[in-house]
Amino acid sequence: MAVEELQAIIQRCQILEEADFKGEDFNLFQVAGQKCLEDGYAAQLLEVIQNEKNKVIIKNMGWNLISPLVRCIFMYKEDDDKREHCLRILDQLAQLCNPKELFLGLLEQIEQTSGEQVCQTVMLLLQPLQTVLLKLQNKKAYSVGLSLAMIMNQLTPLPVPYTKQQIQEDKLGLCQCCNAVVDFAKPFVNEVVKNMEKSSEYNDMELKEELIKFCMKSLKYPLLTAQLEQLEGIEEHPFRQFATEIIDILWNMGELIPLMFVHHKGKSPLWEDQEFADMERKNSADSLACLSYLIFVQHFGVKCFPVVFSPSYLLLCNMTHIEVLLKRTEESVLSKGLDLFESCLLRMEDNSLLHHYLEFRDFINVPQDLVKIMTLCPMEHMRKKSLNILQLFIDKFDTEGKYTLFRCLLKTSNHAGVEGYIIKNIKDQIHLASTEYDNIWFTGHHLISLLDLVLSLPEGAETDLLQNSDRIMASLNLLRYLVIKDCESDYQTGVWTTLGKIEQNFLKPLRVGLNMSKAHYEAEIKNKKENRKEAQSSNTVCSLTVSGEKMMPMTTGMQLQVLHSALFTFDLIESVLARVEELIEVKTKAVMDEN
Amino acid sequence: MTTDEATKSEGEVQAAALAERGEDITPSKDRGVLKIIKRPGSEDESPMIGDKVYVHYKGKLANGKKFDSSRDRNEPFIFSLGKGQVIKAWDIGVATMKKGEICYLLCKPEYAYGSAGSAPKIPSNATLFFEASNAGELVELLDFKGEDLFEDGGIIRRIKRKGEGYSNPNEGATVEIHLEGFCGGHRFDCKDVKFVVGEGEDHDIPIGIDKALEKMQRGEHCILYLSPRYGFGEAGKPKFGIQGNAELVYEVTLKSFEKAKESWEMDTKEKLEQAAVVKEKGTMYFKEGKYLQAVIQYGKIVSWLEMEYGLSEKESKASESFLLAAFLNLAMCYLKLREYAKAVECCDKALGLDQDNEKGLYRRGEARLLMNEFELAKCDFQKVLEVNPQNKAAKSQISVCQKKTKEHNERDRRIYANMFTKFAERDAKEAASKTGVGKPAEKAACEKGPKAPGAEGEEAEGHV
Repeated sequence: MAVEELQAIIQRCQILEEADFKGEDFNLFQVAGQKCLEDGYAAQLLEVIQNEKNKVIIKNMGWNLISPLVRCIFMYKEDDDKREHCLRILDQLAQLCNPKELFLGLLEQIEQTSGEQVCQTVMLLLQPLQTVLLKLQNKKAYSVGLSLAMIMNQLTPLPVPYTKQQIQEDKLGLCQCCNAVVDFAKPFVNEVVKNMEKSSEYNDMELKEELIKFCMKSLKYPLLTAQLEQLEGIEEHPFRQFATEIIDILWNMGELIPLMFVHHKGKSPLWEDQEFADMERKNSADSLACLSYLIFVQHFGVKCFPVVFSPSYLLLCNMTHIEVLLKRTEESVLSKGLDLFESCLLRMEDNSLLHHYLEFRDFINVPQDLVKIMTLCPMEHMRKKSLNILQLFIDKFDTEGKYTLFRCLLKTSNHAGVEGYIIKNIKDQIHLASTEYDNIWFTGHHLISLLDLVLSLPEGAETDLLQNSDRIMASLNLLRYLVIKDCESDYQTGVWTTLGKIEQNFLKPLRVGLNMSKAHYEAEIKNKKENRKEAQSSNTVCSLTVSGEKMMPMTTGMQLQVLHSALFTFDLIESVLARVEELIEVKTKAVMDEN
Repeated sequence: MTTDEATKSEGEVQAAALAERGEDITPSKDRGVLKIIKRPGSEDESPMIGDKVYVHYKGKLANGKKFDSSRDRNEPFIFSLGKGQVIKAWDIGVATMKKGEICYLLCKPEYAYGSAGSAPKIPSNATLFFEASNAGELVELLDFKGEDLFEDGGIIRRIKRKGEGYSNPNEGATVEIHLEGFCGGHRFDCKDVKFVVGEGEDHDIPIGIDKALEKMQRGEHCILYLSPRYGFGEAGKPKFGIQGNAELVYEVTLKSFEKAKESWEMDTKEKLEQAAVVKEKGTMYFKEGKYLQAVIQYGKIVSWLEMEYGLSEKESKASESFLLAAFLNLAMCYLKLREYAKAVECCDKALGLDQDNEKGLYRRGEARLLMNEFELAKCDFQKVLEVNPQNKAAKSQISVCQKKTKEHNERDRRIYANMFTKFAERDAKEAASKTGVGKPAEKAACEKGPKAPGAEGEEAEGHV
């Protein structure tokens, strides 16, 4: 039935001239063709299409069949003959149809697909799309750009497989699809490269720009969020393969180095407008950061990378990228930022980074971002790693750099744990300075000014000692170290001259604070114990929510435990404080006796 | 014999020759960088620090293994000389080369990648050897040119002596310099001078020098080629006998400077103390009519105090009063500089601190009036009167607003009248909707420039 209808319309059109085809004919052809497909007469339809006599008809009307054809292909199973026929029809249409219309027809199919079918559809249509684009005469660069942009836009909402298992399973086919898209782009890249050798025509610039856009887009998605470490048991890691290809494309088109190093770039003729150029830069920040990660951490494209840059300069160039990555919260992106930072630091010798680099904004911002990660990030390994990197960063600076960095971190971190950690670092530096002759930053008046910052309580006697216990303990340890150490080295640190101030700003309020806190907590414990008997009923005083989950209300027993552990902390502080005071007293007395 | 071994022995021979006969070009004479000239340069001039240099090179490790070659990339390698962009050996080595020269360099690890190496190509403690390839070049200096400071050809710098470190004077830093100014080969100025960056004009120093200083380092001695835009401009400088649109050449030595402190380097107490100082300075400039300079001073108060947290009650009172004064004065400066949108922004911020501030309301009214936002301006002046009914100036401004609104409406009417005749054939409904669209679009066009997000809310309140 359906086949006969098709034959009828075909016969009618065979005698017409190309120009005489009417809209009505197109409709009838589409309806009949679609019916053939739906009723399972794909083989017959293929015959009609292959018939030399129908060439003109197919050239003009064939593209109408794309939509029903794609639907049918997904209906049949892999090994169905009918599916095979459909695929051959698609192939024939790509060869025979008017490129312009078929191009739009194919693009429309890609645009309409969504969800789980995206990758399948894209992979199905890439081959015909490439055939058609290669045949296009006009607006080729534009059409290639449009196709790539459309494909990438359709892929972008898909989740990127992250674990080894997910990658191997490749449920939605994304891994496979990405590599298919690169193959799709290759002939166009080759064209650009070939023409670059000859001369640069304007049209080529356009195609090149489109391909660069595609690479930039690929770096942002899927590569930025993809797992790019080598995985055991997967020889051909699909995303590593994809990354290699993308970098090759950039390299072959001569764009890799200019993208990496701004100073290599002459003024881009395409972005004359400065504002537009800035916007473009901002948009590409993620992509460039990912590119840096691929080159410096994963060593992609390293074969062609200049090996004469100084490590500090590479760090400087990467700092912007690191900052971009560390501002993100996804594990995949954040870990790339940490890896990139680490790899840049590992290239440097200790103490080799000049303090002048702190004049660059990023060098102050990035350690602050690290602090945020190590205090707020929910993933423990990230917190630990960022702490390690902070230490690495500190180690790389010269003495003055360390000094400035400590000052900055003490003022900006707002976290007692981090402050305690910095104070411990200061102690190490003071120790080191006592063995060196030319260290002016952790001795004498520079040190005194730093100690002012360390040996103080943020809010005097009212400071929450429990909250600040890490910082206070570190400060007391430092002071104890200074008092013991300086007996031997003749007031090198200058701590004795500033003792009065330390007593006033730190020791005295700390004593007062300890007394008040202890009294308060002891009273609280007493209260709790008394109340325990009368109010066995669990009327909770407050409720606590942690990341959206309501915590179990604390029993009185647990509350008591917490209060006791607080008291324990106060005792600990008090004991170190007592020891410090004792040392000071002995020393001061000795000096007085001498006089 | 494999080719690997062959290149290895070849590499060893050349390295040995270098070690034996090479000239030690390190400043400290520690034989860390040795050089042999293979082909002398075609010109006698060497590149200067900061110059953009173009080189071709090929690098090998001590075992003869090639690790890098610019020829593989089909393009010369470009970098800024003497800026620490490349390994130390190169900053030292290329500086000794002449244009067209080809040489060999042997670089000890301390002058290359040291004990850390450079993953994945350079192992730890590697001596690098830059040498001739088969084609016959090793490090070839192709070309170099002066550094274009702002990528606009306006200021070209050539450094005669490099300064120390990477730290540059910032805006507001106090600098001590020696300068000599030349115009057409004639020296018109020569002096030692101490001034604050951004205020060079006080000492007859063109703006280009201020700008260039922000890119110089302590001890640097350089030649600056200034286009008229960065020099004395169209007006020239009669005092020096310099005509309009003259190209200038300056030789500048930055003897010393003291940076203005970054915000995070100061504690609250210091910020408050300094705020009092710069406020005074700003007011002085304002009285002399130097509004740009005044803006810089008042701007400092904002940058120091606007985001300061954790202040005691007393401190936060002091901080607020400084900020309020700074915003109000900035608004006044911007009014004088005819940057009305910025003036409005500052008033908004001032009113955020004190919503009934008479000056804030009045100045916002003035700025809006000048931006042709008559209705909004009128609201502001009316509010002034609510706060202080005695304010005569505000009263007269309201009548100005009303007058202007009237004029404006009449002009609108004429314009729309034309429009209505044009659209006469079209149906009335469509025409009506057109005018509806026309008005807000026109209003938006008047509201150029960025606006604080708070602004909308306040305006809405104003209408109520």
